[in-house]
Amino acid sequence: MKKFLTHLSGWVVLILVAAAMPALIKVPYFIHLIILALIWIVLAQGQNLIQGLVGYVSIAQAGFMGIGAYFSTLLTVNFGWSVWMTMWLAPLFTGLISVLAGYPSLRVKGHYFAIVTLAYNMVIFTVLLTYSSLTGGEAGISNVPRPSEFSLLGYTFNFEGRSNISYYLLALLMAALSTGLCALILHSRVGRILLSIRQNENLSDAIGVSTLRYKLLAFSVSAALAGLAGALYAHYIGFLNPEPFGVDQSLNAILAVILGGSGTLAGPVVGAFAITFLPEYLRIADSYRLVTYGFILVLATIFLPRGLVPVFHSLWLRLAGALGLRRG
Amino acid sequence: MIEILQQGVNGLAIGSVYVLIALGLTVVFGILGIAHFAHGSVAMFGGYLTFTFGERFGLPFFAAMALAMVAGAVVGLLIERLAYRPVRDAPHINAFIIALGLTMMIEGLNLLTFGADQVVIQTPYRSVFNVGGVVIAELRLLVILTACVLVGVIALLMSRTKTGKSVRAVAQNRQAAVLMGVNVNQVSLVVFGISSSLGVAAGALIGALLAIAPGVGEGLAIKGFAVLILGGLGSIPGAIVGGLILGVSEAMAAGFISSAYKDVIAFLVMIVVLLFRPEGLLGKR
Repeated sequence: MKKFLTHLSGWVVLILVAAAMPALIKVPYFIHLIILALIWIVLAQGQNLIQGLVGYVSIAQAGFMGIGAYFSTLLTVNFGWSVWMTMWLAPLFTGLISVLAGYPSLRVKGHYFAIVTLAYNMVIFTVLLTYSSLTGGEAGISNVPRPSEFSLLGYTFNFEGRSNISYYLLALLMAALSTGLCALILHSRVGRILLSIRQNENLSDAIGVSTLRYKLLAFSVSAALAGLAGALYAHYIGFLNPEPFGVDQSLNAILAVILGGSGTLAGPVVGAFAITFLPEYLRIADSYRLVTYGFILVLATIFLPRGLVPVFHSLWLRLAGALGLRRG
Repeated sequence: MIEILQQGVNGLAIGSVYVLIALGLTVVFGILGIAHFAHGSVAMFGGYLTFTFGERFGLPFFAAMALAMVAGAVVGLLIERLAYRPVRDAPHINAFIIALGLTMMIEGLNLLTFGADQVVIQTPYRSVFNVGGVVIAELRLLVILTACVLVGVIALLMSRTKTGKSVRAVAQNRQAAVLMGVNVNQVSLVVFGISSSLGVAAGALIGALLAIAPGVGEGLAIKGFAVLILGGLGSIPGAIVGGLILGVSEAMAAGFISSAYKDVIAFLVMIVVLLFRPEGLLGKR
């Protein structure tokens, strides 16, 4: 219980610090990057749920992100629905689609599953690109609206205009909520069942767990988070075409989880920031970016198979030990 | 009817390229349990290399392809030794993630070395045969023949040589093979060499038949896995049958439904097979 409170207070402090960040950082581009990283947290937490907890590597995360993005955008642009409504509907819709997609594919394991989800992503991408009477094809949809402004406790949150502070707070809220949701799942009975599937699926089946049902649950929550990330992304950037929803992006989501530390809560958070900021710093060597990226992925898998978070953790323990902060 | 036959012949040509890709993937999977996703990118590397040998040194197509296959085998050996062997005892998922990283690296290297332009390998085989109204291009026929020859060579290698025997032994039971004195490290090197040179051949044929460009490799790897799923992971006859089925059904879909959605239809076929026969058409239960 004490450990739980320590962890919880750690997260609360982190969120409060993050919420105060815009007051400290005055560079708009930096804020922009952090917003993208926060959206990536939502995406990566979803990926972690199916990849880290259940141990099924899905390569469809970007495709589901695309479904959420287009669903929310098309409803707001074509029917004038409020962004506040579609932003909640998008994850529901994506989750529903993923149940249909997951039902056949979750019956196969390991590589089979990875390849089938890869095929899903290809199908989604092709449809987004080709069905241009609905999606606008490669030219895309411009003028995707931002959420409308609202007042709370005498403070007006305005999402339009040049300042992105309100959107930053919105993205932070969503990142915190999705991390919280994953924490709830991880520490519940469901989370333990998901872990048992990763460790020994046959055994779980044998002791009476309906594994397909739980896998389907994890897969659809994972896709719903991707849908939410997609809606957040579309209404933030304001322009939508199929390009960010290809297989490459799904691979990046996997990379985020691996790099951070799969199966942990903090892993996707670290991974999301790494995946957003790394390309910025690799921009100097833009043509080598893909090679460097792949190289990092290979090295990380060989030498850091559990990701950065355990490394940070042990460093912290050593530091705390050296400073005498830890009681024996 | 003529139209159906015509699309069928076109499909057999592209299908035989899929067979070569899938054959390389299936031996790696059957023996090492690795989903070698970077295979498509290696194939594209081979396609570019064949193109370069042809353009720079004026080599005829098949000589350039043979040379590229040797280079491809070396690349395969390096990949096995440097990337996959360190994670051999880790969970299979690690090897798959390595494969994704390798894909990015090889795609990136292809882009740096050969540029982003689309490349078509020029061949002198331009004549066209007309068999009862069905038009068969000489190049397509040669592609099918090349695939047949390569498949035959692999089949002989696997069934008649000592190396082939040890490869099959490792595929059947790794521990027992080790106890019988089979050098597993050597077997996995051999397998990667063979697999990569088959992939390179497929890349060269694709380059002559259609075109090679950045991004084609990933598509090829995905098609290769679709074939594996159709035929059954690790099964060599499955790879042959699955490749031809995928090629023909794709050509039919392009001819009669919509060419924009031909990939979608190919994947739908795969998903349906997976639903009703998860072990593949020729796989073992």
